[in-house]
Amino acid sequence: MRYFVSRVMFFVLTLWAAVTLNFIIPRLQPGDPAQTMVQRLAGQSEAIDPAAIRAVQIMLGLPTGSIFEQYVDYLQAVVRGDFGISYTYFPYTVTHMIAEALPWTIVLVGVTHVLGFVIGTLLGAAAAWKRNGKFDTVVSLGSTFIGTLPFFWIALILIYVLAFTLRWFPEAGGYSGEIDPAWSWAFFGDAIYHGILPALSLLITAPIGWIMGMRNNMVHTLGEDYTRLALAKGLRQRRVALTYSARVAILPNVTGFALGLGTILGGTVMVEMIFGYPGMGKLMFDAISNRDYPLMQTIFLFTTIGVLLANLCADILYGVLDPRVRREAQT
Amino acid sequence: MKIVKEVPVQADDPLKSPWRRRTVALASLLVLATGAAACQSGSPTEEGNKGTPKAQGMVSQLNMGDFGGGNAPQRNFNPFSPTRLVTDFTFEPLFVVNAYDCTVTPWLGTSYTWENPAKLVVKTRSGVTWSDGKPFSAKDVAFTYNLLKTAPALDTNGLWSKLTSVTAEGADQVTFAFKEASVPTFTQVSDVRMVPEHIWSAVTDVAKFTNNEAVGTGPYTVKSQNTQQLVLERNPKYWQADKIKVQRMMFKKATGGAEVDKLRLSRGEYDWNAMFVPDIEKTYVAKDPEHNHYWFPPGASISLFMNLTKAPFNDVEFRRAMTFAIDRDEIKNKAQFGYVETASQTGLVMPGQKAWLAPGIANDGKVPYDAAQAKKVLADAGYKTGPDGKLLGKDGKPLPDFSYKVPNGWVDWIQAAQVIQKNLADLGITVDVQTPSAEVHDKDRGIGNFDMFFGVHGGGCNIYQAFQHPLGSSQTAPIGKVAPTNFIRWKDAKTDALLEELAKAPDEAAQKTVVHQLEQIMVDQVPVVPLWYGAQWFEYRSEKAIGWPNAKDPYAGPGNQLIIMTKLRPNPDYRGK
Repeated sequence: MRYFVSRVMFFVLTLWAAVTLNFIIPRLQPGDPAQTMVQRLAGQSEAIDPAAIRAVQIMLGLPTGSIFEQYVDYLQAVVRGDFGISYTYFPYTVTHMIAEALPWTIVLVGVTHVLGFVIGTLLGAAAAWKRNGKFDTVVSLGSTFIGTLPFFWIALILIYVLAFTLRWFPEAGGYSGEIDPAWSWAFFGDAIYHGILPALSLLITAPIGWIMGMRNNMVHTLGEDYTRLALAKGLRQRRVALTYSARVAILPNVTGFALGLGTILGGTVMVEMIFGYPGMGKLMFDAISNRDYPLMQTIFLFTTIGVLLANLCADILYGVLDPRVRREAQT
Repeated sequence: MKIVKEVPVQADDPLKSPWRRRTVALASLLVLATGAAACQSGSPTEEGNKGTPKAQGMVSQLNMGDFGGGNAPQRNFNPFSPTRLVTDFTFEPLFVVNAYDCTVTPWLGTSYTWENPAKLVVKTRSGVTWSDGKPFSAKDVAFTYNLLKTAPALDTNGLWSKLTSVTAEGADQVTFAFKEASVPTFTQVSDVRMVPEHIWSAVTDVAKFTNNEAVGTGPYTVKSQNTQQLVLERNPKYWQADKIKVQRMMFKKATGGAEVDKLRLSRGEYDWNAMFVPDIEKTYVAKDPEHNHYWFPPGASISLFMNLTKAPFNDVEFRRAMTFAIDRDEIKNKAQFGYVETASQTGLVMPGQKAWLAPGIANDGKVPYDAAQAKKVLADAGYKTGPDGKLLGKDGKPLPDFSYKVPNGWVDWIQAAQVIQKNLADLGITVDVQTPSAEVHDKDRGIGNFDMFFGVHGGGCNIYQAFQHPLGSSQTAPIGKVAPTNFIRWKDAKTDALLEELAKAPDEAAQKTVVHQLEQIMVDQVPVVPLWYGAQWFEYRSEKAIGWPNAKDPYAGPGNQLIIMTKLRPNPDYRGK
């Protein structure tokens, strides 16, 4: 029990630290968001009228009160779930913008994360079981090779070959625009069609970590006494591989998987930028490049909470799965 | 499909995507029978579209570039909001000021007179209707300006720092009363887009109003919008509808970023765009030399700004040497792809503003690169060169290294600064090019913490502002305090007196005599050294539509969308749809 309590305490403390950092960091940034916005809209080679900057300052509304009052207001707003109005997408709220981007990311990154985990773990297990065979060589060497390639390079090659040259898939975007987003099969079909290339590029690289992790763990567990005993007892190969060896070897991967789930909220900036995918990663990039502090703060907050929650879950799960961890905490 | 293709300049075909082709074929047959109007609504039998003109002599669709609103554009057709989507085709001003040659075209206003330098009377057009059918009148005009008073967040031109009242007299006259002589404010007054009182008067917080219905007087109304595209449809009730020959405009978001967008441009997927493309002759024009064109007319002056509170920048002879010392052509060709024009020392945008050039100024006021002359000017002024080749100050001590600040990541400007660094090294002056973040750069610029940087000024048709912003003493502040626009800290009684005179000059002839003297100050006193004009990006295809403005026929700037739309007409040679 003490183990779980200490984990939850740790979670609350880190959450508070994250929320506070979120408050402080934008306030340490140099520059005026209004000026940045006017300059960005006008372009680099345009003379700026100070009247335009003043108008935008009024529009965005400057924070009032002492820094402590601002902090209290901010904490209350966070608790209420009121994250303010986005600068870039004024007058739309941060919540509105995130609600629009989140489903795209959850579907794309969520699906590829799960698929990548399943494929990677199975391949890794298979490679370990038939270790030093032909299959193992192909999988291990292949994934090591692909793992050395930069992700954006793979994505750009996919776009160039499959979208520009063969024109099988659209080169960018989440949907084609001719169909308005709606709960219709036509729109879903279109969205899935647009999602194939980004998903493919993620799926090429996503399983690599799982393959390597699973293979190495399982090679280790295969050498353990209990596996040898199972083999000596004459159990079926399949049963030994899955129930004796893989089941134990998968433990670290499960933790990794849970931790990975937390990062989904933040999106995958790289893939969303390359494919112009309207998810959280792209929104975060927008927020940062436009000095959109309310939006930036909230996305960071979401990401942090996601990672912390996943961490907590992983810790608790680990405690449940592995009795040794619980016992260590008690001593 | 065939049937349609054999008929030249056929009715518009709104359904472009391949997976809808079959529907198109069917619809096209119906179009032949019922006329183009029916097809727009997607329902060929629908009533109420009978007033729409036939597609004969009409460009069915222009493919446009970006429509604003960032990467995830949200519906916002508030024409005063900085985060709006494209509203330039839907809302109209009283007068359109031609951005290229600064001539004024009457639009929703038919004429204007300055009764005195603080009182402007505008006659408004009659017979104009809003796109919802209600009549437009001078009352809407007065309402619009007063709206900006109640919502200072939308008054991006700072009009109400100068206005005292705007009132409508009858249905076709509006009077603007100013606090003081404000003749140059005309360009800012005419920059405001009119909105209907019968809709906006019910809005409580106009700064946050997204104006989803977008009811305006302009040639186009909003047909549909999502985060990927915006479709504008020709407004059949438009007051000069006979001049509008483009049925639909389809704006596409550049979702894949700049690289994907450049590829689309080179494929001819945009009929009209405004984007930076490197090596445009090869990457764009060469792909279809007959139809792919571009015109990058000059905009604001980008100049060498020096800290005039420091030696040697406070010495006019040193600054004069700078006008000869910098190889503007090398900046133009090396840092700017040859897309820009070198700038005139007068502060005017040449050749568009040629009518404003003082008669005695040769070569449009452009100073040629002449390093020998620069050395001579410096030597004559008493600057000697030390034994190590470094230039000495007037006091005989070596000049310190000067910082040249350029915002981080502004690659072309950094390259330009490196050209200047090289040029000045030839004179024995050491320049240290620094690239702080844009925020730090702007802050240092404001408080006067710099030696040299690139300043941007002018470019628009408000010639008063073009001089007053960089040179007016009201726009400056002591070192350490933030100066609004006069960063160089130029303080000159004559300049201020001329600016005051210009604000009062009621007609163009009087304004010109004052501007000529301001140009002379620029040439003689060299407060800043203009180097090149920022280019305005403009690519267009003449495949479907002709009549675009270009270097040979610069009837409007690329940003004068309303004028351009009244000039575009179908290309008679086009055989597509």
